[in-house]
Amino acid sequence: MQLKRKPVGATLAAATCSLLGSLPAVAQEAKAWSVDSSLLYYGEDNGRVKDLSLMASIRRALDEDRSLSATLTVDSLTGATPNGAVPAGVPQTFTGPSGGGSYTVAPGAQPLDTTFLDTRVALAANWQQALGTAMRWNVGLSASHEYDYLHLGLNARLERDFNQRNTTVFLGAAYGQDEIKPVGGVPVGLSPMAGEIDDGTDRGRAGDDTKDVADILIGVTQVLTRRSLLEVAYSYGQSDGYLTDPYKILSVVDPVSGAPVASTEDGIDFQYLYEHRPDSRTKQSLFAEWRYAFDRDSLALNVRLMDDDWGVQSQTAEARYRWNINERSYLEPHLRWYSQGAADFYRTVLFEGDPLPAFATADYRLGDLDAYTIGAKYGRRTAHGEFSVRLEYYQQSATESPGAAVGALAGFDLTPDLKAVIVQFGYKFDF
Amino acid sequence: MASPCEVLCETEDLAFARALGNYAAAEARRIDEKFSRYKAGSVVADILASRGRSITVDEETSRLLDYGEMLWRVSEGRFDLTSGILRHAWQFEEATDAPRLERISDLMRHVGWQRLQWKSPRLTLPVGMEIDFGGIGKEYAVDRVADWAARESRDPVLVNFGGDLRAAGAAPASGAWQVGIESLAKPGHAARRLALESGALATSGDARRAIVIDGKRYGHILDARTGWPAPGAPRSVTVAAPTCSQAGSFSTLAMLHGAEAEELLRAEGLRYWILR
Repeated sequence: MQLKRKPVGATLAAATCSLLGSLPAVAQEAKAWSVDSSLLYYGEDNGRVKDLSLMASIRRALDEDRSLSATLTVDSLTGATPNGAVPAGVPQTFTGPSGGGSYTVAPGAQPLDTTFLDTRVALAANWQQALGTAMRWNVGLSASHEYDYLHLGLNARLERDFNQRNTTVFLGAAYGQDEIKPVGGVPVGLSPMAGEIDDGTDRGRAGDDTKDVADILIGVTQVLTRRSLLEVAYSYGQSDGYLTDPYKILSVVDPVSGAPVASTEDGIDFQYLYEHRPDSRTKQSLFAEWRYAFDRDSLALNVRLMDDDWGVQSQTAEARYRWNINERSYLEPHLRWYSQGAADFYRTVLFEGDPLPAFATADYRLGDLDAYTIGAKYGRRTAHGEFSVRLEYYQQSATESPGAAVGALAGFDLTPDLKAVIVQFGYKFDF
Repeated sequence: MASPCEVLCETEDLAFARALGNYAAAEARRIDEKFSRYKAGSVVADILASRGRSITVDEETSRLLDYGEMLWRVSEGRFDLTSGILRHAWQFEEATDAPRLERISDLMRHVGWQRLQWKSPRLTLPVGMEIDFGGIGKEYAVDRVADWAARESRDPVLVNFGGDLRAAGAAPASGAWQVGIESLAKPGHAARRLALESGALATSGDARRAIVIDGKRYGHILDARTGWPAPGAPRSVTVAAPTCSQAGSFSTLAMLHGAEAEELLRAEGLRYWILR
């Protein structure tokens, strides 16, 4: 009586891998579902913004040529963010709209809006399809919601291979429509921040507003040699509508003493004006990436040049090296450098007595700044999926606008450095 | 490879087609010469010349020996790289030669993986024993060529070495490669037609090589434990698997399980076609 045999398929498959040196691509039936998930923590120093972001994406391959994917992202933002005002030698009190959420900043401290708290939920769906053997297209829908913001978007991309698949040309377009609904309505640009009084008037506020954003992208990927390829892409973006940050303000200071100017508004000590940006912005960017495959590892280097009609110009350079430690794990060090010139209407403060400019912002994100990111990602394949851990450090140094450090302001750091850490855990698997 | 070898390819890339043909021919020749027992200077000749002394083999030979050892283990001794010596008793190309069958028990003293010492990369083969890679070499060659093709291009490729075949790259424009299983009754004609989109097919059987003794047909796939073909073995077993090595191993294992061939393949969850 023979004992029942145990199946040996797994043993044989493993032995075949050893024999042939790798798992053959055709050996595995493509899985129909794939799931990608990540948990990201972004934390700025000095109690500033913290973001906890959870992302889950699921993709269903209908066949070799068609797939549908959906992604859900939930962000939880807490902490404090600079409101645009400069430090002063005395305590400063700021108010939120409709008299809600007033906060006081100590003498000498950078004014941070501590009422900042938000949850963002974003959903995206994407359909991908091959058109014959040389062409692919995908189309997607996106939506995101915050309590004071709603975004709806549409995007599409077409790719075509030429030259025995050594050349791929791609064309993309995206359109988004956003609705901005700040608490208490959108403030009128460069109108004074009101005191903590709700007298029923609109106090310079005008309901909700919207903006439209359209982008087009055209690019080409060219295989240069057996080991290297180059991608070059140009994009053009046009934004129209309300592009101002409804929560950002500028301090009005004395041009000699640098001290804040007393307010004529009830319930607020000093003068602050809501920022105001143009209602249209045209951006162009040029991107180039070179990728090189060594015997075991690979390297990617890229640069991006961006230019817009607000006068902002930026340069980014980035390098990634993927070190494949063994068949199952890799380590990917990452370096990024970013440099930006300020928008034409960026200023640290407004001086009392100067004519009011048409546009003004003190948002550090539109100022002169240099930033770098350094970090690494470690990934490991397991029997069921692949997990990864990413750890990065970000540092940003801003430069104040010339002539801002008058009087008392010279003693303050008007544009303190920003440091942040990024920790991300990822897990993906197929089934 | 002692059989016709061909490579089919759907491509507009002439350079790839040329390189594929060159690689397939060169690789088939290389593997044939390296592992042939008939060629001087082959690994097999070196092993035979070791005369019982321990020798170090190269990395590729190590992988094939490891694979052979694994097959010996999972087949519980039915499959054995040392069983080639039994050909001295079984002359498949010739007419019945009954007296030679008496030599089987003699030769069986020189068959059995347990008698040799193998720990990669060192092999000690007792004097009188032989190693023969014939049972796995052809499928290995098919996989080597298919893997190369898949690395170089996504274009559809079918590697066919004497009926053991594997598809690489995308499925052909027609959707699948059409593969015939040769009829037993009408050699040269297909008994069945199979559609192969990806993966491999391998066939084991005695359609061409068998010996008839007292009206009973004996195939050339011998159970290394007995020196005889497994009783009740099918005439032909075709198995589909991701690689040709796996397909070939399973079709051989099925033959070695004789009457239980179907049961074995069913338990493994494989697609198979058996002719009896």
